[in-house]
Amino acid sequence: MPVAHAAPHVLHLSLVVGGDLRDAAGERLGRVDDLIVRLEGEEYPPVAGAVATVAGRQVFVPSELIAEIEERHVSLRAQRLDLQHFRRRRAEVLLKKDVLDRQLINVDGARLVRANEIEFARLDGWYRVVGVDIGMRGLIRRLVPRRFAHLIATTGFLDWASVEPFTGHVPTVRLRVPHPKLARLHPAQLADLVEAASHREGAEIFAAVAADPELEADVFEELEEGHQREFVEDRSDAEVSELLARMEADDAADLVLQLPEERREHVVALLPPVQGRRVRALLGYDPATAGGLMSPEFICLYADATREEAIERVRHSGVNADGASWVYAMNTHRRLRGGIQLVDLLRAEDAVRVSEIVRPVQTVSPRADIEEVARLMTDFDLTVVPVVGDDDVLLGIVTVDDVLELVLPEGWRRRFSVLGGD
Amino acid sequence: MARTVRALRDRAVRGGSQLRPRNRATARLAVLLAFLGPGLIAANAGNDAGGIATYSSVGAKYGYDLLWMMVVITVSLVVVQEMAARMGAVTGKGLAELIREQYGPRWSIFSTVSVLFANLGICISEFVGIGAALGLAHVPAQVSVPIAAVVVWLLVVRGSYKVAERVFVAMTIPFFAYPIAAILGHPDWSAVGRSIVTPHIQLNGPYLILFVATAGTTITPFMQLYLQSAVVERGLGPEDIKAERAEVVTGSLFANLVASFIIIATGATLFVHGDHTVNSAADAARALAPFAGRFAEVLFGIGLLGASLLAAAILPVTAAYVIAETFGLEKGISRRPREAPVFVAVITALIAIGAAVAMVPGVPVIKLLVLVQVVNGALLPVTLFFVWRLARNAELMGAYKNGRIFDLLAAATVIATSGLSVVLLVVTLSGNA
Repeated sequence: MPVAHAAPHVLHLSLVVGGDLRDAAGERLGRVDDLIVRLEGEEYPPVAGAVATVAGRQVFVPSELIAEIEERHVSLRAQRLDLQHFRRRRAEVLLKKDVLDRQLINVDGARLVRANEIEFARLDGWYRVVGVDIGMRGLIRRLVPRRFAHLIATTGFLDWASVEPFTGHVPTVRLRVPHPKLARLHPAQLADLVEAASHREGAEIFAAVAADPELEADVFEELEEGHQREFVEDRSDAEVSELLARMEADDAADLVLQLPEERREHVVALLPPVQGRRVRALLGYDPATAGGLMSPEFICLYADATREEAIERVRHSGVNADGASWVYAMNTHRRLRGGIQLVDLLRAEDAVRVSEIVRPVQTVSPRADIEEVARLMTDFDLTVVPVVGDDDVLLGIVTVDDVLELVLPEGWRRRFSVLGGD
Repeated sequence: MARTVRALRDRAVRGGSQLRPRNRATARLAVLLAFLGPGLIAANAGNDAGGIATYSSVGAKYGYDLLWMMVVITVSLVVVQEMAARMGAVTGKGLAELIREQYGPRWSIFSTVSVLFANLGICISEFVGIGAALGLAHVPAQVSVPIAAVVVWLLVVRGSYKVAERVFVAMTIPFFAYPIAAILGHPDWSAVGRSIVTPHIQLNGPYLILFVATAGTTITPFMQLYLQSAVVERGLGPEDIKAERAEVVTGSLFANLVASFIIIATGATLFVHGDHTVNSAADAARALAPFAGRFAEVLFGIGLLGASLLAAAILPVTAAYVIAETFGLEKGISRRPREAPVFVAVITALIAIGAAVAMVPGVPVIKLLVLVQVVNGALLPVTLFFVWRLARNAELMGAYKNGRIFDLLAAATVIATSGLSVVLLVVTLSGNA
């Protein structure tokens, strides 16, 4: 990004740390151990001080005392330094101890990267972190003697504007750094990050999205089973059912199956009545069959309803776009008579009865396995297949996204790599 | 999103609601069986071709004299492996990753390079072991080794973690051949019992070297590295520590019981009949036939085949885990080559080189293993020291750090094992081995 490249002089953390701490006259006072930055608010976090060893003691050097930071040395404004111990303040992290060599989220690529080097520069009058190096050369440069470090040109620069560091391991009392950049990510990307990260880092991502319960539920829907289990284990039954209430019924049912058997009944009991009924219905079926895959949210009217009534129903139902793409009609015995696509319904003439425009539809029984459903969808170009019971009563619908997810070869599933390079 | 039809079917309960708990006892057994995994695999991968050769020569040379030591080694192994497993569960990170984060890239690169070389060396010896085991059945190595390599590669690269783990666990079944072979050797069980409880030390060079080599082959750096990474890939968390601990103890006990039975089998036959030299595991099998019968030879061969196959799969995987963790690359047995190119490339390279070298007639396996011993001897103290330091680190482990008494035991284990490993290193380098 322009700011970073326009900076006259990029400093590498690993070359600053270990350098001399000098007073205003250039006398060596001690050794620079680490730099402190404040992670809150500003796009490029400013250096808030340094930690140094002076005469065998670790001291804190506040930023007001620092005149200049250079590779190999940090110079002070004053001749002397008050010996004060380093104590973490709010949102402060140590660059070397807490960030270097650790995982970060590359928000633009939605992947995890490792900070092989931290780059900073003088911007707007003060030293700020401008980015990290995630390339292999950044790492190699740290392995060679300092004298030769400048000979290695690095290529893995990543602007700090695209970086969100994990801070959960920083041992301060309730140090909670917000992760505003995560809001840019899609729930599926957040779920992939949670899957790639360690449990603690994943918990940090969840903590960051927890402010938005809908988003949290969306991330959960996208999460792979093992990880769902990992993150519901920490939650109370009430918290789990709150989460389930916000999820699609079929995903919620799958999640219930991830719970230990002794918890399931209680969690389902805590659900709001409607969702509870749906989840219970779904749990009665083998999850790899149409019955287990189906969503009980669909639109079905009596066949003598008018086109306008049907459209009105679509408009006011909470059924999602996929589910509402078909409208079904049943007779007075609740037997399925047929269906019509929403588009055709809209294009139909005014004032016709639904029974006049619906056509017979292909259906499956709840016991049909996933291959059968997939075949039916392929053969008849369907995105939605209705599931009917033995008495022809419509029980639910299977949408193509639920099927695709299961029939996709395992290797195709990850949308992007979480690898450092491209 | 990564749901699979198979996984869903595994859980499907046909008929009846899935809200009702199943029978308690079967549930408990299922939990126990389901937990057989990283701990058992890591400990038993230590009983590889080189390990069997060492245990066989211990038995052939000194009878049951060194059996008491297996008790001590078992405790040490449990202590070390438990720390690695606990760290994996608590931090969700592999050992190499933690070393990089806590001690910087130099140490992690040192470990990485050492593991890569050591594992390549051992990997060659495993494929030699596979060739030798099937050689007992007159299958030439040029046929058996490539087939084994392809099978191992497919399992590790194409299989899911769950499937691979199941197969690894199943690969420990051939180890039951050793207790049977030991019984066929008609050992004097009362002498065996006495040797287990009476520490016995001879102060001479060859005895001490074998003593140290036994410790070195039972506690090897790759075992901690593999265990911790596998615990992470399995997705275990702090709540699983109890169960995983039980699994580590069971696995270590089983592995060292097997090792003891190897010592008993050769002690009851080769030692008693004055045949004191064993150069390889296949040698031991052949030498066993005249005293314990042809069946004992077959059993030893089966054990060797299983052991070598297991280790030939685990060693490349460990090297790949370590490299991926050190450089922050995508990793995992369940990953396809496209998803984790470096991970798969490392596995492929180790298997390919291991198998190719093993097919060359007259590979100096012994010399190779000596070289490996040197690398491992330098690496083990480093690995163990880091395992211990990290497992007692309150910042990292929180409430799960080493308890006070356990920490003392761990320190003693690390110092003693590292000491022995340095002794072996010095002895090997000075050419007395």
